[in-house]
Amino acid sequence: MSIELPASVPHDPLLRFILALADDELMLGHRDSEWTGHAPILEEDIAFSNIAQDELGHSLVWYTLYEQLTGKSPDAMAFVLAWNDFTCCHFVTYPKGDFGYTVIRQYLFDEAEQARLTALGESSVQQLKEIARKLIREEAYHLLHSKGLVERLGDATVESHQRTQAAVDEAFPQALGMFEKLEGEDELVRAGVFPGNEVLKAEWLKRVVPVLTSATLTVPVAGQDGSYTTSAKSDEGGRRKSHTEHLRQLVDDLQAVYRMAPNAKW
Amino acid sequence: MTDTQWETYEVFHQTKKGDPHIYVGSVHAPDPQMALQLARDQFARRLKCVSLWVARSKDITATDYQDEDFFAQVTDKSYRDPKAFEAPDKESPDEH
Repeated sequence: MSIELPASVPHDPLLRFILALADDELMLGHRDSEWTGHAPILEEDIAFSNIAQDELGHSLVWYTLYEQLTGKSPDAMAFVLAWNDFTCCHFVTYPKGDFGYTVIRQYLFDEAEQARLTALGESSVQQLKEIARKLIREEAYHLLHSKGLVERLGDATVESHQRTQAAVDEAFPQALGMFEKLEGEDELVRAGVFPGNEVLKAEWLKRVVPVLTSATLTVPVAGQDGSYTTSAKSDEGGRRKSHTEHLRQLVDDLQAVYRMAPNAKW
Repeated sequence: MTDTQWETYEVFHQTKKGDPHIYVGSVHAPDPQMALQLARDQFARRLKCVSLWVARSKDITATDYQDEDFFAQVTDKSYRDPKAFEAPDKESPDEH
């Protein structure tokens, strides 16, 4: 099935926007799946495996929309694309680290998803609107889970506090890279596709700062009452396909089986 | 070394509103809210589910398997069994 877009929507920037969403979900889903068999308790092992599959499922939803617009299949995108052709942010590509880092990363990502999908629920592009309103129902439970862990680990014991704080120190600048400006973004904003990454970042800060702070975690921000600015340096480049070795390694793992028999029928 | 294991919670699962909640297993969790969330991932992912209950395992008072006399039937009580009449079939109440 192919679909037509309204003429008012800039085509190429929209495709870039959809791919960025898909690539982020794919890479984070892969990193989450690396906990299968390794999480500190069995229940979290299963929970993270579940979340990993959800994220991969969400990436498929975005890749399928991309296919409807371009004819390129989700497999061609996920399993054939060269590692330095993906447009995920760096944040989702870093190794899973310890469980503290994973929890903080997942939480920061889940809040960004909430901000993004809420905004897309009002998009001028019907397909984005429908997908966003569907996915946000599942993402709400990811958030409940990761937020629950952050709230509990932040001030549970000296060790849990130290490890979650170290994770925030590391992950916060990386997370800002989720909001790296896309090429052609201003056109998308004018066409009412989404409100722009600066707006999403402000909304995201409004969500994460009070939660982290009340979990006794220190965040590099200034401001109050829902209006924050940050002095942290955003870890960007991913949207321009400028990546680190971590993505090369991730994509080698992700595509290993596919590369053994590229034309196999499953 | 202190025991850092979370407490266990027993999980009860309901397939349909009005059906009984059925015991399905247990989860480790730090508190009841997290127990519900983890129970959702363990037990409500593949089974259809409309409601979950969790209860701290230690809050359940149970009989002791060693105490066999608790359930013993020492005299013939078969006269108490409702064998002398046919109970109507619950599934098809119209057939009798």
